[in-house]
Amino acid sequence: MQSPSAETARPKSPQEAKGRPVVDFSHLEVGYGRSAILPPLSGAFERAQIWGLVGRNGAGKSTLIRTLLGLQPAIAGRIARLEGLRATHVPQRHAYDLSLPCRVVDFVRAGLDRGWSFLDPLHVRRGRAKVEQAMLETQTEHLASMQFSSLSEGQKQRAMIARALVVDPDLLILDEPTSAMDPMSEKAIFELIQSVTVQRGLAVVIASHQMSLMFGLVSHIVFVDADDGIAICGKKAQILGSDDFRRHYGFMFEGAP
Amino acid sequence: MSAFFDAWPLFHDPALAGMLAGALLGFLGVYVVLRRFVFLTAAISQAAGLGVATSFLLRLMVVAPLLASDGHAAHGGTSLAESVLFSLTSPTVGALAMTLLAILPITNGRVRGNARQDSYLGVVFLAGSAGTLAIGTRIVQELQDIQSLLFGSAVAVLPSDFKVLAGVAALTLGVHIWGWRGFTAVSFDPDGAKVRGLPVRLLDLLLFVSLAVGISTSTRILGALPTFGFSVLPAIAAVQISANVARAFIWATLFGAASGFLGYILAFVHELPVGASQVLVAGAFVVVAVVAAKLRPGAQRPVPKQA
Repeated sequence: MQSPSAETARPKSPQEAKGRPVVDFSHLEVGYGRSAILPPLSGAFERAQIWGLVGRNGAGKSTLIRTLLGLQPAIAGRIARLEGLRATHVPQRHAYDLSLPCRVVDFVRAGLDRGWSFLDPLHVRRGRAKVEQAMLETQTEHLASMQFSSLSEGQKQRAMIARALVVDPDLLILDEPTSAMDPMSEKAIFELIQSVTVQRGLAVVIASHQMSLMFGLVSHIVFVDADDGIAICGKKAQILGSDDFRRHYGFMFEGAP
Repeated sequence: MSAFFDAWPLFHDPALAGMLAGALLGFLGVYVVLRRFVFLTAAISQAAGLGVATSFLLRLMVVAPLLASDGHAAHGGTSLAESVLFSLTSPTVGALAMTLLAILPITNGRVRGNARQDSYLGVVFLAGSAGTLAIGTRIVQELQDIQSLLFGSAVAVLPSDFKVLAGVAALTLGVHIWGWRGFTAVSFDPDGAKVRGLPVRLLDLLLFVSLAVGISTSTRILGALPTFGFSVLPAIAAVQISANVARAFIWATLFGAASGFLGYILAFVHELPVGASQVLVAGAFVVVAVVAAKLRPGAQRPVPKQA
């Protein structure tokens, strides 16, 4: 019987890191209790790759994300994570309670703690440069003293991405990062994701319904549909050309490769 | 006012006890208010009540007959076994055991979500109060003791109770100030904290245990009304005027301490019930904080909408 979760050795140099997956999953089944909601799925997320996670509402995207992040157990299969993997995620927009008093800089700082670091009183002070760098990259430094709850949706998303970046992640997973945004803000957020992926060499997974913008950005796609029992993943061209995908979304992408 | 300080040796224990309980519950109240389980305090008080009543019942129905059959008096046994039996059935142990049992389903994740937690706390409140009343019919003579043990009086605090409260406050505040980033992470972003490898279950357990211990200790020593007031009102006031959660903790602790102490002086000067006057002072802080928040420069600041 395969171990449901394992660690792979962390590469010692950037050269060695190239082509090494940060998360490798095989025959992975996700669901609740003992019931899988999707067929087995195998794939691997590598650095500097951007994956798009596609499927209709209730298709199993969030369940797959939660399983990959370790927030809920897999029903079956194996997930091999890079040794000491630094994974972060940007949850859906309603995940944070807007009644909390919280300036943007506090919101970003709160992402610094990992493991037991919260017991070190100086940990946040030592991470100040990371906070400044993340806010600079996401263009949120001018919002630092504003209340998070008072930001526009686009600004909130930028602050959430900054919070995810302060731990120097290997893997960044974003769950519907552009919901409730206007088209210009959506475009700006996708450009930001592309920029941080290139600059930091992250592996990125984006679950989104904004396909026209997302498909211009991603190199790989995971397509899931719990109702029709579909879970496939691979290079963008391969998925966009698959019968399963065309049957569901072909009307949107006539002439796609 | 000067009469109060002239008689300071007489009043210093209850006045400082109010201040300590106010500071402790003011701090913990930030979690109570922002995690939206205001009803927790009332539910824990009733669970503690059931624990005390159960202890008395066990002493009456089990321990006393057992010792009587051994030829000893029911009270003041001398052997080790008797001491252990009396310790296990002490009202303090009963109250603590029952409150910890009551919060267990929340800490182990069996009761999740605000709505379900609210319903669960409602069940604890009703089961606690109904259970205490039902057991009360079997221990009529001890009912008065239960009332005084459970719902202590903020007017007069025993030196031994003051020491217990001071110890609980020092320990709890020490743990919470040291690990506040962890406690806030698991309170306000549990999924994010779990992904980043924080010990979410342990921190949540510690948080609820400290709430249970703080609330049941304060209820037993000062009474239910000031305890409920301290664990809600200072935090509500603090959240109104604080830019972040860290400052809310500081303000809530100060408001709580001030409510406990000034409330005692107010009661002395105007001959009011102590618990009620402490709650009134805490309520006044809420009114002042709400007004201050409305008048704060930039409170109506227009928000830039660009992405």
